[in-house]
Amino acid sequence: MTGRLPWAGLALAAALLTAAASLAFAAISSSENSGTLEQRAHAVAATLKCPVCHDLSAADSPAPVAQQMRAQITEELRAGRTPDQIRADFVAAYGEWILLSPPQRGLGLLPWLAPGLLGVAGLALLAVTLRRWSRQHEADPTDSAAPELSAADRRLLDKALAAARGEVD
Amino acid sequence: MRVGWRRWTALAAVVVGVGLTALLLGSGLGHDPNRLPATLLGRPAPDFDLRAIDGGQRAHLAQLHGEVVILNFWASWCVACQTEEPALRDAFERYRDRGVTLLGVSFQDSATDARAYAASRRIPWMLLDDPGSRTGLAYGVSGLPETYFIARDGRVSYKAVGPVNQDLVNQQLRRLQAEGAA
Amino acid sequence: MAVLGAIAVGLAFATGAYGLLAAVVGARRRLPPLVESSRTAAYSLLAMVVAANAALMLAILSNDFSIRYVAENSSLNTPVFFKVLSLWSAHEGSLLLWNLVLAGYLAAIAFRFRAKPPETLPWALAVMYAVSLFYLFLVMVLSRPFASIAEVPADGRGPLPLLQNHWLMAVHPPFLYLGYIGFSVPFAFAMASLITGQVSDWWVRITRRWTLVAWGFLTVGLTLGALWSYAVLGWGGYWAWDPVENVALLPWLTATAFLHTSMVQERRGMLKLVNLALAVTTFSLTTFGTFLTRAGVVASVHAFTKSLVGPAYLAFLLLVLAAGFGLVALRSQQLRSEGRFDSALARESALLGNAWVILTLAFIVLLGTIFPVLVETVSDRQVAVGAPYFNQVGKLPFLLLLVLMGVGPLLAWRRSSWVQLRVRAGMPAAAGAAVVVATVALGGRSWAAAATFGIAAFVLVANAGELGRVTSSFARSNRRPLLAAFPAAVTRNRRLVGALVVHSGVAVAACAIAASAFASQTEISLERGQQVGFQGYVLRYEGLKPQPEPQRMVLRAPVSLAQAGRSQGVMEPALNLYPAASEPIATPSIRYGPLTDLYLSVLGFDENGQRATFRVLLNPGVSWLWLGGAMMAFGGALAAWPPRHRPLPAEDLVRARSLVEVG
Repeated sequence: MTGRLPWAGLALAAALLTAAASLAFAAISSSENSGTLEQRAHAVAATLKCPVCHDLSAADSPAPVAQQMRAQITEELRAGRTPDQIRADFVAAYGEWILLSPPQRGLGLLPWLAPGLLGVAGLALLAVTLRRWSRQHEADPTDSAAPELSAADRRLLDKALAAARGEVD
Repeated sequence: MRVGWRRWTALAAVVVGVGLTALLLGSGLGHDPNRLPATLLGRPAPDFDLRAIDGGQRAHLAQLHGEVVILNFWASWCVACQTEEPALRDAFERYRDRGVTLLGVSFQDSATDARAYAASRRIPWMLLDDPGSRTGLAYGVSGLPETYFIARDGRVSYKAVGPVNQDLVNQQLRRLQAEGAA
Repeated sequence: MAVLGAIAVGLAFATGAYGLLAAVVGARRRLPPLVESSRTAAYSLLAMVVAANAALMLAILSNDFSIRYVAENSSLNTPVFFKVLSLWSAHEGSLLLWNLVLAGYLAAIAFRFRAKPPETLPWALAVMYAVSLFYLFLVMVLSRPFASIAEVPADGRGPLPLLQNHWLMAVHPPFLYLGYIGFSVPFAFAMASLITGQVSDWWVRITRRWTLVAWGFLTVGLTLGALWSYAVLGWGGYWAWDPVENVALLPWLTATAFLHTSMVQERRGMLKLVNLALAVTTFSLTTFGTFLTRAGVVASVHAFTKSLVGPAYLAFLLLVLAAGFGLVALRSQQLRSEGRFDSALARESALLGNAWVILTLAFIVLLGTIFPVLVETVSDRQVAVGAPYFNQVGKLPFLLLLVLMGVGPLLAWRRSSWVQLRVRAGMPAAAGAAVVVATVALGGRSWAAAATFGIAAFVLVANAGELGRVTSSFARSNRRPLLAAFPAAVTRNRRLVGALVVHSGVAVAACAIAASAFASQTEISLERGQQVGFQGYVLRYEGLKPQPEPQRMVLRAPVSLAQAGRSQGVMEPALNLYPAASEPIATPSIRYGPLTDLYLSVLGFDENGQRATFRVLLNPGVSWLWLGGAMMAFGGALAAWPPRHRPLPAEDLVRARSLVEVG
């Protein structure tokens, strides 16, 4: 059996690498700059909020205003304007809130950076806590003397204890 | 006392957290979440050059420089627009010869419906057809009716969301006329 | 009727106050009879709240328009089905339903612990009574459902048009409430634990099942909400990142984290602080959620009209936060871990990692929801946070979570070996990689979608493999054939199998979400008789078909459907015109399919119906979302199913005794 493992491991590594490469390939194209005119307009409209709806984008909303926005975006794309220019026009008319993502400057950086920072901080906290736990009971005599129970025996013990305690939950 | 220090830090963190939550949510209670800011206030009104719905004249904002302009967005299907019609009619009658131009712009309306509506209600002021509602979008129209008051120098002076009444119109026009005179 | 209802509410409040007092005094003075009296008072409380709800229901059904709530939310023309639903379709009535569910859970606790009550029960009851008193106070004073109206109208206004459109209104709010409110039980026991200083493992064992049940209900509620968004609201999607949607998701996330970390406390006695904090957090989030929904802080499709309850909710929320987290902070020293952390490659770390990722996701959702309020408070600007933000920032954590769902069950407790992991994870990983390559090769240009499909395949194969291992080990130890052993293996390992099913359900739902990257849509205006081709379908507009109904006018736009030359019937999207609504409500027509949905909605009519504008979407994979949700709910139910208590066979008892003696 051990003779087979290196082959299997190599095959798996190869498969994973191929997968990673395909992901990279897929990531290169973005639909705001590729696809048909309708698809591109849809992608731009998806970044703008429908002014009369509560949460929907101009791409999703069935409201008349959103329909007009979609038509206008299509026109402007056909005339050669870039998605950023189109967005800037709408911001000038409606305000910053027409964008469905917080602008990436000033206070708007908070939602973009905070999750990453907190995630990393949480990971650090995790690592510290785990290290502390593994050191905490290093010199615990009772623990080292405990016999290794098989899974079946452990389940049996749990059941017996539960039965002895009466209804546990 | 290391033990006590940890506990006090934790408690302090709780107090700070609760306090900040109170501040944030408390002030949030004071806001109206449905209020949308008018970004055009004080800025130059977007230009437009539109044909009337009866196919006759055109109206070009740039050529109206020096006049006060009331730009009213409406549609034949807009029920609330009917409630402000008397106020607009009154303003039209009173100020038409005093350097105030009242223009209606249809928003997301078919030309036929708009024409029929205007004819049946005998709207005296010029109603413009806005293909694709580009002008509406340029002004940031979110709903109907919305009325923009544009000063003589072409800046947006006031935006009324919802039906206007006579008091509001008179108040705005008095202010704008006084501006021009000085 | 109004008087009876108001009296019932008042009596309920009095009963609740008594129950709270009796529980607290009984706990402090150690008077079991008083605690017992407090326990039975829960039944009376439930009876009173049931009576209040029944009173309002009767008032609605009998068209009693002297009550303002009935006048504003029901009418003579409303069908009986929707009349019943109007009990919870608006603010005051839904609060009454809230009280009913809360009283129900309180009574359930009272019933469950009628024999051998745990030491923490009095305080748990006290906390539940306190929460009940707050919500009863709301319906008694601030949002009175039985308030009368000055001038009694001849006919009511009727429910909001959007809320009398679909049968989903019958199930979505109740399930949501059953889930949401159910989280007050683990909170109550957590607080009881903290108050008494009894931060043992007892409370985790007690509350884990209750949390699982509430979680299951909330899962169903969320899935139904997504279905509502898809089938009723007509915009073509199932999740709009509406603030109220988000706050329903938040406690679901933290409860999921709790369900995982509590396992570590059960097995190893570790993570006590984390578990208590998570129980408090989950309940705080439900309180925050209901605050956000009803206080008018954010604009939302769900928001009830702004009412007076805002400041009261805020005060209650702050109290919950202060008391809950304050106690956790106070007792933090006593919450030392009993177990020892042996190895990084073990299930404990996978579960901890899972909690970390989930909390990051929850933070993202919370921040995105509250950010507009924050910005407006600080700088008087306005920003919006919507789907693009959540999708972009949440992608990586979500993918990481999926990976953990596949790897976690493969790791053993305490210590696992790399060899063991490679053997178990090898096949699933290969399957995942193959799916990724296949997706991209078949033309899928979204890396996130391809990655999701691949990791979902990994999760499905890994969890299926685990299920196979459980079955085969059961078959071997009981000397039965594999297939015959399967049902018994499942029933004997309910918790594990339930978890595997839930993970698989999440993987399936993830595929549904990822598949939306491949949706296609178009907007087209058709004359009567004109047809258009879309993604292999041919659609022809047949002309306007108006259908007057007592409470609304329905404008149907029949569209005949053909595919590959064969007729597929007629789809009828509609526009509903209600007298009370300023804009028509669109009802989409959907052809559900195992792989794709054809979604058709009519946007508007021109020239008296001669011309209609349609929106057509081809949505791949949406049906997997409903399947995934159902799997999650089923898995949760399976895991929560209580075991039958049979006495252990004699030889097992002997063996157990010997093990204990040796240890």
